[in-house]
Amino acid sequence: MLFLAKAALGLGGTIVLAGAYTFHEGVIRVDVDESRAGGSHVHMWVPAAAVPMALHIVPKRHFMYTSEHGRDFVPLAYAIVKELKKFPDAELIEVDDGTQHVRIRTHEGKLQIDETEPGQDVHLLIPLSTLEDVTSQLEANAPSA
Amino acid sequence: MTSLTPSFCKKAALITAAAVALSPIGAWAQTTTDKTSSSSTASAKPDRWLHVRVISTDGKGETVRVNVPLELAEKVLPAINHDRLHDGKVKIDCAHVNDVDLRALAEAIRNSKDGEYVTVQGNDNDVRVAKQSNYLIVHVLDKGKSKKQQVEIKVPMKVVDALFSAGKDELDLVAALHALSAQGDTELVSVKDEENTVRVWLDSKNVTE
Repeated sequence: MLFLAKAALGLGGTIVLAGAYTFHEGVIRVDVDESRAGGSHVHMWVPAAAVPMALHIVPKRHFMYTSEHGRDFVPLAYAIVKELKKFPDAELIEVDDGTQHVRIRTHEGKLQIDETEPGQDVHLLIPLSTLEDVTSQLEANAPSA
Repeated sequence: MTSLTPSFCKKAALITAAAVALSPIGAWAQTTTDKTSSSSTASAKPDRWLHVRVISTDGKGETVRVNVPLELAEKVLPAINHDRLHDGKVKIDCAHVNDVDLRALAEAIRNSKDGEYVTVQGNDNDVRVAKQSNYLIVHVLDKGKSKKQQVEIKVPMKVVDALFSAGKDELDLVAALHALSAQGDTELVSVKDEENTVRVWLDSKNVTE
C-alpha cells in the first residue's frame, strides 16, 4: 500500500513537473479561419518550450539553408525581438483600410499578430522568448561571410 | 495505517516542497524580479516612443498607426544593411544634393541666431525655413490647383547636428535617434492635404492618442 502511494506520488509529481516545464514559456497559438465554403479552420496550440527543444534535433544543413536565405532578415529579427522584450506591452503597428485590419502588438511577453479581412481571420500568438531562441539559433548557424 | 501516517506525511511534504521549489513559480518569481528591476530602471528614464499616424479620408478611409520605442529603433537600425543604409548610417549621393555641403550648411545654421533664413512666397508654393528656440523649422504650403498640401517639419538642432556628425557623405541616423531620445515631447512632422493627414511625433506614451 505504501509502495503504491509512493509510486503514485512520484508519478504525479513527475507529470506535474513535466507539464509545468513544458508550458513554462507559454504556448504558441495559431488560429486561421477561412469563412468561404470549404475554407480551412486551423487551431493549433503548441507548447513554446517544445520549439527550442525541437530545433536541437533539426539537421544543421537546414539551419544553414534558412540562415543563408534570410541573411538580411535574421539579424534584424533577432535584434527586434531581443529589444522588444525590454519594453512594456504596446500596439506596434495597426493598419486599417476599412475591409482589412492588421494589428501587431506585444502582450504579456508575447508577439500578437492579428489579421482580419473578409473571408479570412488569422491570429498568431508567439512568446518573444521563443522567437528570440529561434532567431538566435538561426543567427548562430548562419554561414560566415 | 495510522502508525505510517506521520512518515508518509513527512515524505509527501518533502516531495511537494521540492516540486514547488523546482516549479515555474521560481521562474515566475525571477521574471517578476526582472520586470520590477527593468521597470525601476524605466522609471528613472522613461522610454521615448516615436509615433507615426497616417489617416486617409479618401475611398476606404485607411488608417496606419505605428508606435516604436526610440531605443529599439536605435538598437535595430545598425542591424539593417541594405542599399545605402549600413551600420545605422545612410550614404548620400553628392550628385543628388547638387554639391551643397550639407554639414557646412547645418554648422552655419547652428551657429546663427534665431531667425527666418528662407522665405519664398510664390503662386504655387510658400516655403519658410527658420531657426527658432534651437529648432529647425520648415513650413511648405503647396497651393497646387488640384490639392492643397501643408507640410510642417520641426527638428531640434541637436538632432540635426547628430544627423550630420558622421562622414561627409553620410547621415548618422542612430546618432540622430539618440539625440532625439533626449528631447521632450514634440511634434516632428505634420503633413496635411485634402485627403491625408500624416503626423510624426515623440512622447513617453506607448499608445497612440
